[in-house]
Amino acid sequence: MTSADYLPILILILIAAPFAGIAILLPSVLGPKNPNRMKQEAIESGMIPFADARRRFPVQYYMVAVLFIIFDIEVIFLFPWAVSLNQLKIFGLIEMGVFLGILLIGYLYVWKKGAFEWE
Amino acid sequence: MNALDILQLLSPELILALTGFVVVSVDLAMRRRDEGRTAATIALLGLGGALVATLLLAFAGTSTVEAFTLAIDPYSLFFKALAIVSVGLVILASISFMRGKSRYLGEYYALLVFAALAISLAVSATNLVMVYLGIEFLSITSYILASYFRQDLRSQEAGVKYFLYGAVAGAVMLYGISLLYGATGSVDLATVGALFSAEGDQRLLGIAAIILLLAGFGFKASLVPFHQWAPDTYEGAPTPITAFLSTASKAAGFAVAGRVFMVALPNLVADWTAILGSLAILSMTLGNLVALKQTNLKRLLAYSSIAQAGYIVLGLAALNPGGDFDGVGGLLIYLLAYLFTNIGAFLVVMAIEQHSGSVDLAAYNGLIKRAPALALWMTLFLLSLAGIPPLAGFFGKFFVFAAVVERNLLTLAAIAAVNAVVAAFYYLNIVRAMFFVESEEQKPVSVAAGLSAALAISGIMVLVIGIAAQPFITWISRSVEMVLVSGM
Amino acid sequence: MAQQALFLIMAVFTLGMALGTVTSRNIFHSALFLVGSFAGVAVIYFLLEAEFVGVAQIIIYIGAIATLIIFAIMLSRSVTGQNGSPMNRQWAFAALGAALLFAALAWLFSRVDFGSTAQPVPEDAIALIGAGLVTEYVIPFEVASILLLVALVGAILIARERHS
Repeated sequence: MTSADYLPILILILIAAPFAGIAILLPSVLGPKNPNRMKQEAIESGMIPFADARRRFPVQYYMVAVLFIIFDIEVIFLFPWAVSLNQLKIFGLIEMGVFLGILLIGYLYVWKKGAFEWE
Repeated sequence: MNALDILQLLSPELILALTGFVVVSVDLAMRRRDEGRTAATIALLGLGGALVATLLLAFAGTSTVEAFTLAIDPYSLFFKALAIVSVGLVILASISFMRGKSRYLGEYYALLVFAALAISLAVSATNLVMVYLGIEFLSITSYILASYFRQDLRSQEAGVKYFLYGAVAGAVMLYGISLLYGATGSVDLATVGALFSAEGDQRLLGIAAIILLLAGFGFKASLVPFHQWAPDTYEGAPTPITAFLSTASKAAGFAVAGRVFMVALPNLVADWTAILGSLAILSMTLGNLVALKQTNLKRLLAYSSIAQAGYIVLGLAALNPGGDFDGVGGLLIYLLAYLFTNIGAFLVVMAIEQHSGSVDLAAYNGLIKRAPALALWMTLFLLSLAGIPPLAGFFGKFFVFAAVVERNLLTLAAIAAVNAVVAAFYYLNIVRAMFFVESEEQKPVSVAAGLSAALAISGIMVLVIGIAAQPFITWISRSVEMVLVSGM
Repeated sequence: MAQQALFLIMAVFTLGMALGTVTSRNIFHSALFLVGSFAGVAVIYFLLEAEFVGVAQIIIYIGAIATLIIFAIMLSRSVTGQNGSPMNRQWAFAALGAALLFAALAWLFSRVDFGSTAQPVPEDAIALIGAGLVTEYVIPFEVASILLLVALVGAILIARERHS
C-alpha cells in the first residue's frame, strides 16, 4: 500500500474532525446556560457521588493491564502469521503451536496464582 | 542440515528452556510448599544436563555452524558453559540462603535457569535482532531477581535502579543497531561487517554506532561510564543474585561486545579498540579508587567488579590477531578465572551474612578464629582477585597484560599495573581484618551444605586453573581462533 | 509533496506532544500527552509504508501501554493535589545534553548517504514478516514467547506478594 491509498482516510478525518468539533462547540456558544448544583454533578442523574473519583486504584487494575499487554503482543505475532499461513505448511503451524504452548504455561501460572480473582 | 542436527546443536538451549518450564509447572502443581527444594533440584539437574550437552558439543570438535540467527561455535560454547556453571553455583548457594526469605522460591529458580538461557542465546547471536532480544531477555529476568525481596526497600531500590538504567541503556543500544541497519540494510552481523566500510563519513557513523552500542554492552559489563547502577544494585539485591550479576551477566556483556565488534565492525577495529582502551582506564581507576573507601563488603566488591571489568576489557582493547597474545584469549581466560573467584568471594559474603546478618567489614574481624575454613577460602579468592600467582586470577591478568604490552600500548599497561597495586591494598585489607583484628564475637560460623559445596567447587577451580592452566588455555585458544578467523 | 507536508505536520505534532509529556505539571496530563505522541509516531510509520509496525504501534502502545501507564499512575498516587513540577535542578543539563546529542546526530545524518540501501517496500510485506517469523527468525520468535512468560511471572511477583 502506498500513502495515496490512505487518501480516503485523510478525507474522512478532515470531514469528521470539524464535524465533531462543531457539535461540541456550537451548543456551548449558542445554547442557554442556567447552571445549578444538581446540573453540575458529575453524573447528573442516578447515584449521588459519595467520594472523589480521583483516588488511588487497587493493584488489580495494574495486573489486568499487564496481562492485557502480554496477550496483546501475542496477538501482534499471530497477525502476520495468519496472513501467510497458507504458504507456511505444517512447520508454521507447529512453530506457532510451540509459541502459544509456552504462553499457555504463563496463562496457567497467572490463573493458578489467582491474578484473575478480584478481591 | 536436517532437523535432528539442528536440535542437537541447540541442545543446551532446549534443555535450559525445558528445565525452566518444568520448574514453573512443578512449582504450580505442588500442593505442599517445600521452600523451593524441589525446584532447586530440578533446576540443578537441568543445568547439569545443559552443561554436559555444551561440553559434548565443545569437545566434539564442532566447527562453526550458523543457523537461524545463532552461531554454534567454540566461542559461544565457552560462554554457555561459563553461564551454566555460574548459575549452577548460585542455585547451590541459594538453597540455604534464600530459605524462609521469600514465599516464591520456585519462580526464583526458574528465573535463574531462564537467565542462563538468555545468556546462552545472547552469546551465540549472529544477528542484531537476536543480540538485542538476548540482552533484553537477560535484563528483564535480572530486574525481577534483583528486587526479589519484596519487604526489603534496599532490594526494591536495587531492582528499580537497575530497571531504569537498563531501559535507557537498551534503548540507546537499539539506536546504535538502527544506525548499522540503516547504513547496510542488514541486521546480520557478517553482512554488516562486509558492507560497512571505514571510509569517510561512514567511519563517523560507525563510531557513533560503537558508542551507542556500548551503552548496552557496557551496562551489562558495568564499565564506566555505564556503571552507575552497579553499587546500589549489587548492595541491595539478594547476595546470590549479586554474585550472578557480577559474573555470568557481566561475561555476557563482554561476549556480545566481542562478537559484534569483531564480526560486524572489523573495518573500524582501530576506533573501537581505542574507545574500549579509554573505558578500561576509566573503569579501572574509578572502580579501584572508590573501592578503597568502602566498608560494606557488597559495595566494595561492586566497585572491585567495576575495576575488574576495566582489566577484562583490556583484552578487547588490545586485540591482536595472529600475535602470541591475541587479547581475546586473555579476555576469555580472565572471565573464566574471575567467574570462580568472584562467585567464591560472594559465597563467603553469603555465609557471613547468614550467620551475622551483616555485610560490613567489621563482621569479618577475627574470622580466622571463628571460621578458619571460611577465612582461608576468602583469602584465596581475594588473592586471586588481586592477581597473585599461582592462582587463577593471575593468569587472567597475565594474558591480558601481555597482549597490551605486545601491542605496545605502554601507557595502558602502566595504568593497569598501578591499578593492580591499588586494588591489592583493599583486597589485603580484608585479609588483615580476618587475620589480625580481634572481634568480640566468638561464636563459630556454621555453613550450610549447599553453600559449602559451591564454595569448595569455586575454591578448587581457582586453584586448578592456577596450577594446571594449560588445558584451559588450549581450549580457550581454540575457541578464539575460530571467531578470529571468521571475523577478522 | 503532500506526503512531505503531512510528515512535517505529524512531526511537529509528535514533538509538541512529547514536549507536553516532559513539561506538564500534572502527571496524568503527561500520560495523555504521551498517548498523543504515540499516535503521531504511528502515523509516521504509515507514511513510511511500514504498515505492520504502524498497526503494532497502535495496538500495543496506544491500546495497551497507555492503559498500563494510566493505571500505574492511578494506583501509585492520588491524582489530585500532587502536581509537583517535573523539573529538578538538573533539567538544564539534561536539556543541553539532549540538544547536543541531537545536533551531533543531525550533523552526522546530513553527511552520510543512507539512500543507497533503501529498497522499495514489497507488496506483501506483512506476509513476508509472517513467513520470516517461522523460518529464519524462528528462534527469536520462540524466545519472544519465553520472554513473555518471564514477564508474566515477574508481573505477578512484583504486584501481588505484599497482599497475600
